[in-house]
Amino acid sequence: MGNVLVWAVWVVAAFACLGSGVAVVSFSNPFYSALSLIGNLSSLAVLYLLLSAEFVAAAQVLVYAGAVMVMFLFVIAYLGGRADAPWAGGPSWQALGAVAASAALLVEVIVVIGLKTSGRLSHTARIDSFFGRPYEIGRLFLTDHLLAFELTSIVLLIAAVGGVILGSHSRDPSVEQ
Amino acid sequence: MIAAAWICLVAPLGAAVAITVAGQRLSRRGAGYLATASVGISFVAALVSFSVLLGDPPHDRSHPSTLWRWLTAGPYHFDLRILVDPLSVFMMLVVAGVGCLIVAYSIGYMDGDDEERRYFAYMALFVFSMLLLVQGGNLLMLLAGWGLVGLSSYLLIGFWHDRPSAIAAAKKAFVMNAIGDATMALALFLLIQRTGSLDFEVVFPRGASFGGWAANLIALGLLGGAVAKSAQLPLQTWLPDAMEGPTPVSALIHAATMVTAGVYLIVRTHALFEAAPRVQELAAGLGAATLLLAGLIALVQTDIKRVIAYSTMSQIGYMFLGAGLGAYANGMFHLMTHAFFKALLFMAAGIVIHALADEQDLRRMGGLRRFLPRTYWAFLVGALALAGVPPFAGFFSKDSILAAALAHGWYGQILWVAGMVGAFLTGLYTFRMLFMAFWGEPSAFVREHFHALRRDVVGVSLAVPVAVLTVLAALGGWLQFAGIWTPVSDWLDPVAPALVEASGLQEAISSLLAVLLGVAGIGAAWWIYGARRAKAPKAQPLLERKFYFDELYDVLFYRPAVLCARGLLALVEQPLVFGSVSGIAEAVRGLGSGTRGLQTGLVRTYALAIAASLAVATVVFVAVR
Amino acid sequence: MKGPDVVWYLAVAAFLFSTGALGVLIRRSPLIVLLSLEIMLNGANLALIAFARQHGRGDGQIFALAVMAVAASEVVVGLGLIVAMARRRLDLDVDKLRTLRG
Repeated sequence: MGNVLVWAVWVVAAFACLGSGVAVVSFSNPFYSALSLIGNLSSLAVLYLLLSAEFVAAAQVLVYAGAVMVMFLFVIAYLGGRADAPWAGGPSWQALGAVAASAALLVEVIVVIGLKTSGRLSHTARIDSFFGRPYEIGRLFLTDHLLAFELTSIVLLIAAVGGVILGSHSRDPSVEQ
Repeated sequence: MIAAAWICLVAPLGAAVAITVAGQRLSRRGAGYLATASVGISFVAALVSFSVLLGDPPHDRSHPSTLWRWLTAGPYHFDLRILVDPLSVFMMLVVAGVGCLIVAYSIGYMDGDDEERRYFAYMALFVFSMLLLVQGGNLLMLLAGWGLVGLSSYLLIGFWHDRPSAIAAAKKAFVMNAIGDATMALALFLLIQRTGSLDFEVVFPRGASFGGWAANLIALGLLGGAVAKSAQLPLQTWLPDAMEGPTPVSALIHAATMVTAGVYLIVRTHALFEAAPRVQELAAGLGAATLLLAGLIALVQTDIKRVIAYSTMSQIGYMFLGAGLGAYANGMFHLMTHAFFKALLFMAAGIVIHALADEQDLRRMGGLRRFLPRTYWAFLVGALALAGVPPFAGFFSKDSILAAALAHGWYGQILWVAGMVGAFLTGLYTFRMLFMAFWGEPSAFVREHFHALRRDVVGVSLAVPVAVLTVLAALGGWLQFAGIWTPVSDWLDPVAPALVEASGLQEAISSLLAVLLGVAGIGAAWWIYGARRAKAPKAQPLLERKFYFDELYDVLFYRPAVLCARGLLALVEQPLVFGSVSGIAEAVRGLGSGTRGLQTGLVRTYALAIAASLAVATVVFVAVR
Repeated sequence: MKGPDVVWYLAVAAFLFSTGALGVLIRRSPLIVLLSLEIMLNGANLALIAFARQHGRGDGQIFALAVMAVAASEVVVGLGLIVAMARRRLDLDVDKLRTLRG
């Protein structure tokens, strides 16, 4: 019974994820694309929960969907009508090449997963109760992966500074186009 | 004496350098005075050397002096060395003396020319080069002087470098001299190989010890150089063209000194020539052939300077005749007297040319006797000396050569006949020139264009050297009266002992016949040109085209060379040299513009490139692993 | 609880990644390109989390959090650029922005 429930949830979340992903890429109105992305993020959070990564799921919803996407929506609102651009265009060989490249990537990833991890993937490890909990995340961040932690904070700092600079008004008002 | 010799050599060089360095700070006249003074110092120094050398006993008159070791190459070494001996002092006196007079004359002749300073620097350079040539203590210094006089000649012939004809003449002279230089260099190489040195006292005693072919080759190489420098057959075509230079240049270089360097060379290296008797006889034969050829061509020339140029060629033929038959002192004596009267003739002609506003065509002249009386007398003296009329200088020197020819055997006698014919021709063409220019009624041209000489420095500088040379041409011959009084032969005997001695009877016959023929020539000239009793015979095209030598050389050498050059240009230079360089540039440019196409500026293209390479790389990694 | 194997999650991640790549390569609006980029990053995140679960270790989750932080920073800078472009009245069309053409 529990298994069926898990499977059902998985199916719904997975298809929502995929559908919203396709929607993001397809809509011509960026506002709809952003909203689809929010849906994508939420379904991803569900998938993370299914994988026992509770903290990451929470962080996903809070940070990604809550902050980053809000920022996106602010900008889209600011840009208003100017945000609409032609859907696609340019040399036709580019479109063809793009489809070919992404299809190739998809096929390759699946083939590689199939080739390299045959057999081993069916055996999922047992997990303890601390898996996915904030305690475990915090412990790992501050012990095994301290460097990653610090570097990430530096990257955030740089981005903050960059954002401020990019957003400031330029001194020379004549710099247009 | 050694110091005097060095001063004699270096003074003109110092003047040349000083004039060049001073540039505009020295006035034009000042450059002339400086050059004249330096050559004057040379002459005085040469006199000092001569008088000191006189004090030495006759067999002990050879004094080399080395400044430093100049070149060392393995076992060979060559010094910066001069030699003071009777022959070199003889030449020093002639070169410096006549040179001084001519440079003084140039002050007046070149007055008003914009580039007088350059002229005097070149003249001083030339005198230095000629002195180096005659004073050189080894064949390398002689060769150095040889090359430098060729250079000075080129610079001075092409002095008026805005005239294309002058430039062409300078190039022609230089190239033909270069041929001689090349043969001389080859001879010197052979000498170095055989003897390991080029010093006179090492090389000459060994002259007899070379093998037959080596000795012949060496002598031939030296003869080639002499023939080129002295404008003898077959390298004679440059001398008439060299008249493009100013008249004093013609007087100094192409009459008195440079062209006589070939004679000096043969006399100096007579030991090497005596080791190759056939070559020496060839030299005499070439001299005889040239004297006839030049005499004939001079009969139809209409440019006054060219008549005198061909006359020079002819007289040097006499000197070659003398040196080739072993009458060295006679040849050198004729060199000296020739320097006097030939320079005199050129300078007098220069006065005529100046007075007629640079007109040189004899057909336009006439009756100048009335306008330029003193010049006429000077010219007359020079002409009589040239024709060999006693008591003027040419009689003594030329006839002694002819007498020696008579004494040489059957070959010499053939050449003697040639020399006699030459004497007739000499009288004829010389007096043709004199009568055409000076006698008769003044032509219309003369009446229009004549202007008298100025009385100031210009006039003095033109007149005084001519006067001095007139005296020398008149009296210089008395220095040696064959058979009776021979100071010149005695002086030169230790250096170049004569191979032949003419007997008194041969001397008498020669002299008499030569004088008679010369006077006959004068008479014929008077008959046709002076008294106008007969018409001049139509000039043969052969004579007018100078026996077609220029055309022959053009076809034989010039055209093939030009063809070769053009062919190489088209086949090798253009495609390989130019093509490769521009080809590389084109290739690089093509590569660049090709690569440029990759930079489309579209972000999406770059992203596609990344994605595609990622796809390919994945396959590669997976397949390789 | 049993559910789908990790492989299924990986398949979803692969699909997400290639969909995002397609969007980046095809769309002309820089905003949409950024959004597609987010899709790709999320696909990678999902793969990481799946593998973390498979190995039973939390390292994958750490990496995923770091990726999230970096993605956030990148969006900040990217949106700042877009706003700056809009302020200068530039066309928001990647095909028109080709001044760096060779």
